Amino acid sequence: MPENELVEELDLDQYKYDFRTVDKPVFRTEPGLSEDVVRAISAHKAEPEWMLEFRLKAYRLYLRKPMPTWGADLSDLENVLDKIYYYVRPQDRMKNNWEDVPDNIKNTFDKLGIPQAEQKVLAGVGAQYESEMVYHSLKKEWDEQGVIFDSIEDGLKNHPDIFRKYFASVIPPADNKFAALNSAVWSGGSFVYVPPGVHLDTPLQAYFRVNQERMGQFERTLIIIDEGAQAHYIEGCTAPVYSTESFHSGVIEIVVAKDARFRYTTIQNWSNNMYNLVTQRALVNERATMEWLDGNLGSKATMKYPSCYLVGEGAHGSILSIAYAGDGQHQDTGGKVVHAAPHTTSSIVSKSISKGTGRASYRGLCKVYEGSTSARSNVECDALLINETARSDTYPYIEIDEQSANVGHEATVSKIGDEQLFYLMSRGMSEEEAMALIVRGFIEPIAKQLPLEYAVELNRLIEMEMEGSVG
Amino acid sequence: MADRLGRAEHAFVSGNLNSLDVARLGEGEPEWLARRRLHAWKVYETTPMPTEQMEEWRYTDLAQRLPIDRLHVPSMVPLRDDPDMWPQLLKHAMRDDPDTSGHLVLLGGGVVYTDIQPSLASRGVVLTSLRKAVEEHPELLKEHLATQAVPPEEGKLQALNAALWTDGVFLYVPRGVRLENPVRVTRCLSGAGAAYFTRTLIIAEATSQVSYVDEVLSEDLDPHTLTSTSVEVIARDGAQVQYVAVQRLGRGVFYQSAQRTLADRDSTLDTLNVSLGATTTRVDLNARLLGPGASSNMLGLYFGDGDQHFDHNTSQDHLAPATRSDLLYKGALDGASRSVFRGIIRVAKRAQQTDAYQTNRNLVLSRGARADSLPKLEIEADDVKCSHGASVGELDEEAIFYLMSRGISRNQAERLVVLGFLGEVLQRLPLGGVVEKVTRAIESKLRTGAHA
Repeated sequence: MPENELVEELDLDQYKYDFRTVDKPVFRTEPGLSEDVVRAISAHKAEPEWMLEFRLKAYRLYLRKPMPTWGADLSDLENVLDKIYYYVRPQDRMKNNWEDVPDNIKNTFDKLGIPQAEQKVLAGVGAQYESEMVYHSLKKEWDEQGVIFDSIEDGLKNHPDIFRKYFASVIPPADNKFAALNSAVWSGGSFVYVPPGVHLDTPLQAYFRVNQERMGQFERTLIIIDEGAQAHYIEGCTAPVYSTESFHSGVIEIVVAKDARFRYTTIQNWSNNMYNLVTQRALVNERATMEWLDGNLGSKATMKYPSCYLVGEGAHGSILSIAYAGDGQHQDTGGKVVHAAPHTTSSIVSKSISKGTGRASYRGLCKVYEGSTSARSNVECDALLINETARSDTYPYIEIDEQSANVGHEATVSKIGDEQLFYLMSRGMSEEEAMALIVRGFIEPIAKQLPLEYAVELNRLIEMEMEGSVG
Repeated sequence: MADRLGRAEHAFVSGNLNSLDVARLGEGEPEWLARRRLHAWKVYETTPMPTEQMEEWRYTDLAQRLPIDRLHVPSMVPLRDDPDMWPQLLKHAMRDDPDTSGHLVLLGGGVVYTDIQPSLASRGVVLTSLRKAVEEHPELLKEHLATQAVPPEEGKLQALNAALWTDGVFLYVPRGVRLENPVRVTRCLSGAGAAYFTRTLIIAEATSQVSYVDEVLSEDLDPHTLTSTSVEVIARDGAQVQYVAVQRLGRGVFYQSAQRTLADRDSTLDTLNVSLGATTTRVDLNARLLGPGASSNMLGLYFGDGDQHFDHNTSQDHLAPATRSDLLYKGALDGASRSVFRGIIRVAKRAQQTDAYQTNRNLVLSRGARADSLPKLEIEADDVKCSHGASVGELDEEAIFYLMSRGISRNQAERLVVLGFLGEVLQRLPLGGVVEKVTRAIESKLRTGAHA
């Protein structure tokens, strides 16, 4: 494994401040996209014939599909898409200099209390080391239970039957333009299979999955939770991911089988030049439960709507979404629930904060098909505006085809109350502290669902983002 | 009057219309108006036909619901302005109207009767046909007709209306004049396969007060008939205006109404749309709060059965500080009927201290019925109180159980619950005559409906 060599060649202390990878032959495709590029990616990964055909079909679909005209402003994106490299071998990507990482990102790392080595990983200048030990002991445990937790590439290679059965079954390439693009050029991501009845107490964290690319530009994740199994998967973290790339388009497919239970947690904090367009969807079967916990900070524009397709009787879907739009950012996020079986239930809770010239939009769908008797769905959206240049939108779509369904949607938009501020300041807090406290209270219902270390980081991050908001 | 209206001798078929026909329609009119019609026609021709690919028409397939190329634009044959000759339907509707400040009657696309209390006329209140107003109040019409409120640029159907309108209502209330009783307009359509284009222009000067009730009726009509109306309501500083539209058309009719209200400083401009009849209803209502302190209550009620289709598209535009709007649309759907509510609150950057609310509630009474709701918010100011809520649900079994435990039959209990549900809307704008009339219409629909 080339990445292994890479790790061994490094001495952490020596490279504390001038970390570089040793030059290696670089594999990357030509800038821009063509059928040749798609073929080159597939050939480089030594994929089976069916996958190449799948990619090519998706590529043609991508060319035909129109750009979305709703949501975030993507008018500059065409330029970006012509210039980017659609495939760069992962270790070749870590060529950044630590010195090149912007100061504000470094400061954020310091304030969040992230160790130096980890900072480099997050900044894209290093691979993961320290978690290796943790990973190996966990790996043993998983192996014993028959749990597969691999890179998506290894999933295809080592588990072709399960892979092929489920791959693109939840999100076909024709779903939308960016799902088609991802299907054509995907690279990196996780493959997870949890066998029937297995309950995993420790969350599966993409973070621990060393020796593989952590996150690609066109990541593809496929997760199957078999009958009666239970698991929790965590992707990303609250610290900003610094990347020289300006486009990220992932596809995340999840199948939750009968009576299974699964939670997918992701907190993403992209650098401010990033277009983040992600399709993530779960197919939820009889009496199964799917929970999305989705946090979006950073990026230039994010379009991301985690979905639950409730296809089995008694299935339950829940989406907790939090978005923070700072200066110049547009978070167009939300959730979709589709009820296609009787007695299905769902809930969406969305909290958004817009500050400066930021814009946070909630966009959601609640659809109940005829025959989904007694379906229940509840949607709550709350938006907080920090100052007068910020913007908040709510675009819910409610489509009900079933008489016995009960669906409710409530949304509020407000600013931080002067009375709340006055009260806290009369107790000796500065205005900034008071505002940060109010914002923390606002997101508390979602933060408390996070694993402790993430909640702590999220709170610190919110505090930092609130700095300088008074004035 | 009959002569003037009968002037256009031949009927047009909408699909064959061209600018010459539009010019002919404008013959005898002042030049500004003829020019405006031709401009509107140009806009119509260059505006694409709405399709379900367009967000605003996503749930209503216009091409399928309206044979827009096969309608005939009626020749303006002499109209029966003898009340004895009026349809029974019209006479009944008018008989049920209590006290009025004035009354105006339209048959098809033309005004046949106007009546206003002399004391009000002497104080400068004008209630007249739009055709007459073009001659008698040219300055007001030149300034306000299809300009700020519903210009042709608003959409394909709005443009068509601005090009082809035959008549309509003009109501003008001078500064400080307050009308105790509502002004009532009754419309009756009769010609099947026709397309009627009318307009309403209401101007309430500063600190005046007026309520306006517009009721439209017909028997069932076959083949498809279109009634298109553009409604422009202007409330000057401190004026209080209530606009009510009650739609009780027969099956086979496509009812299209484009309404815009302009509310200046400290004015109150409330609207109520009651949609009970027609096969397809499409209402576009845009409330603009233009001056500080302006306020708008927007109420709506729809009750469908059979294959009825209702599409209400509302927007609340807050363009000045300290403005307020509150929308409540409620609907019940029986049979295979379907409703779409699409509403948006837009708060501009300068519109601080705004309160804006929006609620849409739907009751689905049968298995084949369907309700879609899209309540949206776009907020660019921060010192605001905004909320919206939408719900779709079935009859409250507990309420029915309670009523039944008091000895009421299930049928009757269900009726009472529906009536109570929809009645909340009427209670917010309790105009004399309207509440009773609409309640009776709902009751009769509940009796005849599949649900009763």
